[in-house]
Amino acid sequence: MAALISLMIAIPLIGAIITFLTRTREQARLVALLASGISLVISLIIFSRFDSSISTIQFGESYPWIASLGVSLKFGVDGIGMPLVLLSNIVIPLTVIFAWGETKEANRFYGLILLELVGVLGVFTSLDFFVFYIFWEIVLIPMYFLISIWGGPRKDYAAIKFFIYTHVASLVMLLAIFSLYFNAWTISGTPSFDMFYLLKNYSVIQSPLLKDAIFLALLFGFIVKMPAVPFHTWLPDAHVEAPTAGSVILAALLLKMGGYGLFRVILPLLPYSGSPAKLITLMAIIGVLSILYGTFLALAQRDLKKMVAYSSISHMGYVTLGAAALIPLSVSGAMYQQFSHGLITCVLFMSCGVIQHSAGTRIIGDLGGIAKHMPKLTFLMLAGFLASLGLPGMSGFIAEFLVLVNSYFTLPTFVILALFGIVFTAGYHLWAMQRAVFGTYNEKLGHIHDGANYEMASMGILILLIIFFGLNPNPVLNMMTTNAQQLLKFVALRGVIT
Amino acid sequence: MFSDYAAFIVLLPVIAFVLTLFLGKKLYSGGALLPIAAIAGSFIISFGIFLEIYPKDGIVQQSWPWFAGMNIGILIDPLAVVMLMMVSFVSLLIHIYAVGYMAHDPAKPRYFAETSLFTAAMLSVVLSDNILQFFISWELVGLCSFLLIGFWYHKPSAAAAAKKAFLVTRVGDVLFLAGIVLLYVNMSEIIAGRGFTVPAGNFILQFKTMFAAIPLINPTQLTYITLLFFGGAIGKSGQFPLHGWLPDAMEGPTTVSALIHAATMVTAGVYLVARTFPMFAATPSTISAGVPDSLLIVAYVGGFTALFAATMGLVMNDIKRVLAYSTVSQLGYMMLALGTAGAVVGAQAVGISMFHLISHAFFKALLFLCAGSVIHAVGTNDIREMGGLFSKMKITGTTMLIAALALAGIGIPFINIGTAGFFSKDMIIEKAFEYGQLKGDFIPYAFAIIAALLTSIYIFRLWFMTFTGTPRSERHSHESPGVMTRPLMILALFALFFGFAHLGFYDYLNKNFELLTGEKAAPESGGVQMSPIVVLLPVLVGVLGFLISYAIYHKKMLDMSKLVSSQNPLYKLLLNRYYEPKIGADIIGVKLTHDVVAQSGEFVDRKIIDRLVIDNIISNTLFKLGEFIRKLQTGVVQNYASITLLGLGLLILLLRIKFGGT
Repeated sequence: MAALISLMIAIPLIGAIITFLTRTREQARLVALLASGISLVISLIIFSRFDSSISTIQFGESYPWIASLGVSLKFGVDGIGMPLVLLSNIVIPLTVIFAWGETKEANRFYGLILLELVGVLGVFTSLDFFVFYIFWEIVLIPMYFLISIWGGPRKDYAAIKFFIYTHVASLVMLLAIFSLYFNAWTISGTPSFDMFYLLKNYSVIQSPLLKDAIFLALLFGFIVKMPAVPFHTWLPDAHVEAPTAGSVILAALLLKMGGYGLFRVILPLLPYSGSPAKLITLMAIIGVLSILYGTFLALAQRDLKKMVAYSSISHMGYVTLGAAALIPLSVSGAMYQQFSHGLITCVLFMSCGVIQHSAGTRIIGDLGGIAKHMPKLTFLMLAGFLASLGLPGMSGFIAEFLVLVNSYFTLPTFVILALFGIVFTAGYHLWAMQRAVFGTYNEKLGHIHDGANYEMASMGILILLIIFFGLNPNPVLNMMTTNAQQLLKFVALRGVIT
Repeated sequence: MFSDYAAFIVLLPVIAFVLTLFLGKKLYSGGALLPIAAIAGSFIISFGIFLEIYPKDGIVQQSWPWFAGMNIGILIDPLAVVMLMMVSFVSLLIHIYAVGYMAHDPAKPRYFAETSLFTAAMLSVVLSDNILQFFISWELVGLCSFLLIGFWYHKPSAAAAAKKAFLVTRVGDVLFLAGIVLLYVNMSEIIAGRGFTVPAGNFILQFKTMFAAIPLINPTQLTYITLLFFGGAIGKSGQFPLHGWLPDAMEGPTTVSALIHAATMVTAGVYLVARTFPMFAATPSTISAGVPDSLLIVAYVGGFTALFAATMGLVMNDIKRVLAYSTVSQLGYMMLALGTAGAVVGAQAVGISMFHLISHAFFKALLFLCAGSVIHAVGTNDIREMGGLFSKMKITGTTMLIAALALAGIGIPFINIGTAGFFSKDMIIEKAFEYGQLKGDFIPYAFAIIAALLTSIYIFRLWFMTFTGTPRSERHSHESPGVMTRPLMILALFALFFGFAHLGFYDYLNKNFELLTGEKAAPESGGVQMSPIVVLLPVLVGVLGFLISYAIYHKKMLDMSKLVSSQNPLYKLLLNRYYEPKIGADIIGVKLTHDVVAQSGEFVDRKIIDRLVIDNIISNTLFKLGEFIRKLQTGVVQNYASITLLGLGLLILLLRIKFGGT
């Protein structure tokens, strides 16, 4: 059963090409669902055969590509990538189901969604830095089109801002990748873009200043993607203008690429960097700042979708904080936060989409009492909001609990600050629900209808998954912990933390 | 035999929740029978376990590993089993009553599903064997209260009250969570550094493990941990200053209020302190250094709340609001008992506090259900519009009088005959006096005794205004149906006679921590000889309160209109609830958090970070650069895809040239 991963990436790619060629929207959506569904099945096969007790790469594949430059197609998964591969394959079919009613240029729409799947799967499985970077960039293109064609009134501004912002960050990251590449080349005399090889040779770099520069360049590339304060302002604009499917993919999968980079690239380098203590503090500050800043900004929003966008920033702050704390369970908590947020944020953005579609507005103050006519949506949206505010029994709680408890060992002050955010997180979620969904029905909205069945089904499945992973985190948490322990062995060896 | 099915105490109502939620519409009476049967099952199992473990002083322990070295488990010791029986029994009666009370509500399936989950969550709090599961269940209790207080979500006041309840208790929850964080870190450190080992089959956050580790935890840290836990209890049990949500929680159906106030929610805070009492008791007292022990703080917060809430109970006109402040005040007594009796008789304080908790559960559930019966009949909450209902509602009137007598603690001292409250509350007040003698600090006692007088006044004011005199409005009223009055009668029996169980109850609960940790409990107190006046005083103030209310509200011997006017600043202060809603929601919630902090954040984000830095400075520079490039090449902006690929291709080309390629 070799080549499972390349098969998993190839099928949505072929599916995307077929989808582009279809004539009717019925054909397009069916092909998209089939392709992403097959990809999901393959990922489930990989997942079920995955050994959580070992930290090395599993299902590895390698094919030569540009031998002269040392570029090869290397794929594989470990406890860092596997959960995100699974997440991607869960989110994309559900997005297709949710967007079952799309009419505008359906073949291109569903095709671009499949291309997003190709991109993120490539990012989460590539073990060659060059290929990794190509996939990293590929992801941007369909998202750019999703925003600029199917977006809202200011779609051009938002799409270009999204593209330029994250592209600039990628280029900075690319510079760092090349530095690592040439560094390793100089040492060994043979070129190679092998990711682990390049990361391993980072420690050989003599100048601490150069080490820190490379580290910061990579960090910059990743935290812009997450996004972390203060490099986050592209996100609210992109979300506000993006179509629902675009927002779902953006928040659930594209942001996770940034967090993935922290675990895959940043943590292995951290102990060997020029000034690890300072960099840890920097990451902790960025993490807590994102948590609190995102929370308060969410509280200030009038647009429901913008509020959800800021809540993403806040939740992704836990990823940075948990990673910076360098405790096995804080790091696996941070990884779990990535997985969990990927599920939860879908429900939130889908809720915004259903409301926008039905009521014609997402402005909280213009809504009011919509529960009366949208009972099904209210039920699912409330469940999603409760998951997002960290209610125990749902996946977000496990992640945040692990991060908060275990980060206290090394970063107590930051944890205390983060705890302050919890009440306000509950505050903006419930306040928005109270004003938009509960209370007296705003008759100005006219007659509104509940969400379509395919929309409700998609959200319902997500809620069930959120509850399942809130009650039983072990299937993905164990593999995360195995890899986190392995990562931190090197941290401990370097004596970075006591 | 019953012990093997302990997990079903929680699982049965959870199953009923799921079934009722999705199938309730198709079932008889909105699926009410499912939760009733499930909770009856929970009660039977709890009672069966009690019969099994009581004779042999046993405890039930079951544990399963969960994630990251933590577990899910069941611990049923004397403390838990009495609580389990009370919660399931009172909840059962309230559910039966609700069949009548909610008969005409179209959303019945949702109601019964949520109350079933509410009960399940509370039962799970009670039988948790570790602090994490306790916290998780505790949060689910909070969730259900949010859903049920906002049950009539189309009412803006209900939606607001639901949010307030969740957020105010959330403040406490965060403190509780911080306590757990601190506890976990301390436990890990003593395991790593001081050779403490978690026995095989046990887990780090289990109560047993925690209690065994107490001597090794840094005392200052222990004080922080317990105070943070107490912060959680303050939120959940409506203690000052986080009491404001409880009176507002009246927006839900009255049966929900009865559940919250008696069985399923507010007692969780007291139970938390009782559950972790060995930790509170172990905190060091260094008053000389300005740091009191945790129990002293529990005593003062509890005592102050008892008095503070009772003052507001005096002036409220909403029948349910009076009862709500009464609950806040009585919870204060329970905290006071833990604090003061804890200093006098050690862990026996848990029995004293729990006895009041359970007797209060009976008479407070009864008071709320009677209030519900009255509201059901007259269609208003305002006692100024009631009056003279006794002739029409004899069962409700009589049972409510019994509950009022129990709340006021009426009984005959020295020969020990009296209502449940007589035994439970007087014990607390006596222990507060003993505490005063021991420590030379009679302030907690003063709180308790003055609050007792006010309690008696407000509850009989309520009763007289509702049931006696002439009807003050043209309202058609009638006695409630049997499905509602029978639970009242059963609860009235408990309010009357439960007190006689006090000696057996104290004995049983005193063994609790001995059974759990294997350590001998503190020796029996030497039976301090109380002066008769101390024994008599609590009952005397109870009777005095009755007479005052009788004189004012029944015989109208005093004209209250002068006192009760908006000119009277004291009356205004009480009626406005010490301006707590204004300070809490308006000033802290909206003005400070939203208008100042969040909006200035929005300004910084949009106008400074985004507009100024990104758009104006960085983008404009890039844009000018772009203009320059645009002159060289057209259509660049449109096609980012090609530029990316082109860029990559160029890079590869450059590399080949520089390094010579193959």
